Amino acid sequence: MTHEEFESIAALDAIGAASAEETRTLNEHLASCNSCRRARDEYAEAATLLARELPPVAPPPEVREHVVETIADEDAEEERARFSNRWWLAIAATLFLALWGWREFGIRVARENVRSQQAQIERLKSENALLHEQKEKLSVEMSSLAAPETREIALAGQQISPTASARVFLEPGRRRAIVFFQSLPSNPKDKSYQLWIIRADQPRPQSAGVFDVSDAGNAQIVIENLPLATEMKALAVTLEPKGGVEQPTNTNFYLMGNS
Amino acid sequence: MDTTSEALLPSVARGDTTAFESLYDRYSSTLYALLLRILANPEDAQEVLQETFVKAWTNARMFDAARGSEIAWLISIARSRGIDRLRSRKIRGDRENDAGREISIHSSFVEKTTGADKAVQSQESSAVRSALSELPEAQRVALELAYFEGLSQSEIAGKLGEPLGTIKTRMQLGMKKLRERLQAFK
Repeated sequence: MTHEEFESIAALDAIGAASAEETRTLNEHLASCNSCRRARDEYAEAATLLARELPPVAPPPEVREHVVETIADEDAEEERARFSNRWWLAIAATLFLALWGWREFGIRVARENVRSQQAQIERLKSENALLHEQKEKLSVEMSSLAAPETREIALAGQQISPTASARVFLEPGRRRAIVFFQSLPSNPKDKSYQLWIIRADQPRPQSAGVFDVSDAGNAQIVIENLPLATEMKALAVTLEPKGGVEQPTNTNFYLMGNS
Repeated sequence: MDTTSEALLPSVARGDTTAFESLYDRYSSTLYALLLRILANPEDAQEVLQETFVKAWTNARMFDAARGSEIAWLISIARSRGIDRLRSRKIRGDRENDAGREISIHSSFVEKTTGADKAVQSQESSAVRSALSELPEAQRVALELAYFEGLSQSEIAGKLGEPLGTIKTRMQLGMKKLRERLQAFK
């Protein structure tokens, strides 16, 4: 269709005489044609000449009054609506903030709970690992005690601690021993008990371990890398400075026993 | 009607009620005459006139001076609402009863236009009438049947007993002449 044909439709459309199909086609074209849009506007203006040719007729005065009252009412209504809208917006905003705050609080509490539960899980895991390690250790110690080759040596309390005793379970094959001490006097805070191995092949005693006793006077130690059983002559316990020493500082034996 | 005066719709769009009252005073007589011509019934014409001005108040911000004059914008609102009212009334079958009253309404209300508006409006109407008088009668009748009575091309063809193509051509030629006359006004 040419621009002239579109303008002819615009001429009919201006007086409402274009068909619905013609109007639709025209409007589609006008979306992308400035000159036809201008022609449409000019035809629309020209059509109003038909109305402007009529001799003017003044409407009754009450029509003017009614129109002015109506727009005043519309203004008031619009203002009421605006106020009402503002009011509702304020309420909605307050509600939103309250709900948002409540939600945030809930999330924070939930996060705290999760953090606390995670910490609890970590603590339980660590305790579990420790217990597992202790169980393993106990299991090894029990199997050592129950092994047929394990030899038992008894250490007896000496003059300074006559009620004390100790039992040494020696595994020669693994050069390892578990020692259970009982009823030793509590060691002062700046002192520790020290177990000595008196060897047949050496003049000086060899330290086998340093330990503190419980309130009941009990203790348990594991000795690794023991000398061969044939080289061990005796075992003895002295009270030494905290942490132990290279060689016994005294001959006040608390326990003693021959291997 | 003073079409050269300062445009009022931009002020109306800003909610200026004084400008709105001036708008009414400036154009209500032209719009009322149009609505009487379309509806041929003063009560209906007054109602639609009120609706037209209320719509102008609420939609003033949609007026685009680049697309046409203030009066053309108001006339298009009034005509559209007038034709809607006419069609709904036709459905009710009222139209026949009112047809005979048209001429007497015109004569009785023309006299009520007064003062300076009347002088200015008469001046412009005369110029427009002169433009329309240059149209051949057949073109003018076809345009008026479409514009004032809202008839379709085929309804006009049927009413005038002419082929549809002839009616279409008449209307297109008539509108072309009006457009040329409008450009001459400017």
